[in-house]
Amino acid sequence: MRLALYVTCLVDLMRPSVGFATLRLLEAAGCEVVVPADQTCCGQPAWSAGNRALAADLAKKAIAELEGYDYVVIPSGSCTDQIRNVYPQLLADDAAWGPRARALAERTYELTSFLVDVLHFATPPAEFAGSVTYHDSCKGLRALNIKQQPRELLLKVKGLSLQEMPDCEECCGFGGAFSVRFGDVSTQIVDRKCESIATVGATAVVGGDLGCLMNIEGRLRRRGDETTRVLHIAEVLAGGGN
Amino acid sequence: MATGKHSQAMFFQVRAGLSVKNKLLQSALQKAKPLFVGKRAKGVAGLADDGLDFELLRSTCENIRNRVLTDLDVWLDIFEQRAKASGAEVLWARDGEEICDLVIDVARRHGVSKAVKSKSMLSEEAHLNEALMAAGIQPVETDLGEYIVQLAGETPSHIIAPAIHKNIGQVEALFAKEHGRPLQARTSADIPAMAREARQVLRQHFLSAEMGISGANFLIAETGSAALVTNEGNGRMVTTLPKVHVVITGIEKIVPTLEDFATLMRLLPRSATGQTISNYVSLLTGTKQPGDSEGPEKTVFILVDNGRAALLGSAYQDMLRCIRCGACMNHCPVYFSLGGHAYGWVYPGPMGSVLTPLLTGIENALDLPHASTGCNQCGSVCPVRIPLPELMHRLREEQVERHLQPWSQRLALTAWAWLASNPVLYRWTMRRAARYLNWLADDSGRIRIFGLAPGWTAGRDLTPPAGKTFHELYAARKRA
Repeated sequence: MRLALYVTCLVDLMRPSVGFATLRLLEAAGCEVVVPADQTCCGQPAWSAGNRALAADLAKKAIAELEGYDYVVIPSGSCTDQIRNVYPQLLADDAAWGPRARALAERTYELTSFLVDVLHFATPPAEFAGSVTYHDSCKGLRALNIKQQPRELLLKVKGLSLQEMPDCEECCGFGGAFSVRFGDVSTQIVDRKCESIATVGATAVVGGDLGCLMNIEGRLRRRGDETTRVLHIAEVLAGGGN
Repeated sequence: MATGKHSQAMFFQVRAGLSVKNKLLQSALQKAKPLFVGKRAKGVAGLADDGLDFELLRSTCENIRNRVLTDLDVWLDIFEQRAKASGAEVLWARDGEEICDLVIDVARRHGVSKAVKSKSMLSEEAHLNEALMAAGIQPVETDLGEYIVQLAGETPSHIIAPAIHKNIGQVEALFAKEHGRPLQARTSADIPAMAREARQVLRQHFLSAEMGISGANFLIAETGSAALVTNEGNGRMVTTLPKVHVVITGIEKIVPTLEDFATLMRLLPRSATGQTISNYVSLLTGTKQPGDSEGPEKTVFILVDNGRAALLGSAYQDMLRCIRCGACMNHCPVYFSLGGHAYGWVYPGPMGSVLTPLLTGIENALDLPHASTGCNQCGSVCPVRIPLPELMHRLREEQVERHLQPWSQRLALTAWAWLASNPVLYRWTMRRAARYLNWLADDSGRIRIFGLAPGWTAGRDLTPPAGKTFHELYAARKRA
């Protein structure tokens, strides 16, 4: 099985360790992983802004780069939603690209969903001393139905205990451009997430989308919480540092 | 289309900023949210006790509403015939101004000097109270929340909980002033006593008003009836005691049959307040007949377009399915950070972020379609499956198509997309960006002020990257 790892633009720039953790994890699961060299961004920011033309250009670029593999795996629910759900809709009327978009969509998976639903992988190589609480990011949960997969995997990590926070399905307030355009509103929302996290007092808050995690981490630190670790699930499952 | 002249939606950003800082408002909202969410969850879970499946029921309700919208003109025709046959008058209003003119005309014909009102969001669209007062007719809101809001000289901040933004101290101050009594210290244990006090005042108005004005949750085509779903009983008083009853409602509120109404009632109260059924469900048909013990001598339906017909057959038709339960706003992280007034017009929350631009002009509410994190908590609870985030997204696309977004934003997006289309240049830029962000960090290793996205660092730190991009490190690793 030959799969393409799409690391996402945010991981590329802000937290490469998530990309390497994903790579280790997929290799541990026995996959031949290729990182297509020309990948940039899936185009979601353009799509979210309402700019169909720009979003379609970037969609075509990504399709051309990613369609030659058995699967495409992404450590992000948000970017996966873009390829799985938005691309086919965006290019639906395009006779040449529509079918290619649909074919790619079917083979594109968010990381935990790929590990559990496709590979039935049950032996993450990591150990983790402590408790974690899992934040369900919105696109993963509501657009891709990812709920049990990350929990199943986390519970198999040696030493790890899972403590659910109240309202774990509640949005963290990130929303991409929303968090910059309406920074004060977004802060108000993420404050409630921080309070939920505080009630369980876990060693780490874990999620599957770097955008949400940067938002949560940024607010926790600004509120003075210097100890709660904020980790991408790939980092927890792969273990072994950077 | 409705005019945007009363809308403050263009000032969303400023109003949102003020709402976030309003501590009284914030504490009122934080108290209300878990109640709404918890009660609805329980109400929906309770469907199973009746052997009903929520998702199946949602589809049925969605289909009922779609069926109406497909042939809205036909159903309105049938409704008009049946309503007239039962003795009611049916009038049509294109916009808010026409609503006001029609109501004032009916009031003048019947010598009305006071009108008691049950909840009607359409009368908010029309600014009916102001028009009535200008015409020398006293409007008295009788829904407890609406009464509070009227005393405060405000507008509702939630479609089913109009005074959700007020705390008990604020309500006590309004009551003491209006009811001419000294201020008292109040706790939530006093709520029943305060409601009784309002009721005593309102009772006099019910008995003296010559006109009752209500909305309608649904219009039932097969019987020509208005269906009213209420909890306080004031709706019954408004619609039966005064000699004239005026129903003001949107043309999209039609359902074909009583059975369809019964089906929708499975989800409306549960979605709104978690109740299996509201305290009162009234079906109002025609006028008082010989032998009837109560009822108005005159019933007038005012069926309002105010921008709705233009949505039929458009990309936004799904919005017309809305049954005004409020579940979308009750589950919206943005609504519960702001309350309703920030949205600037009659309807707040996700449904308002779609309806306000559609009914008052897209160019008059540019922020609202963006006032969403895209979380789809609204869409996943909507009892008639309105894809609210998709409709907001479509509005954003229309802003782009009509060049309504700021040029700076367009330029930035175009430049970024161009960069993302050129991998070599993109890699180079990201490598520079990673180093730059790393350099920006202060002694503690954080970025606390970031000029390119000040909105972000106003409330959050930014943890900078380690200095090299993934692709840079990966390429180096492959070479090694």
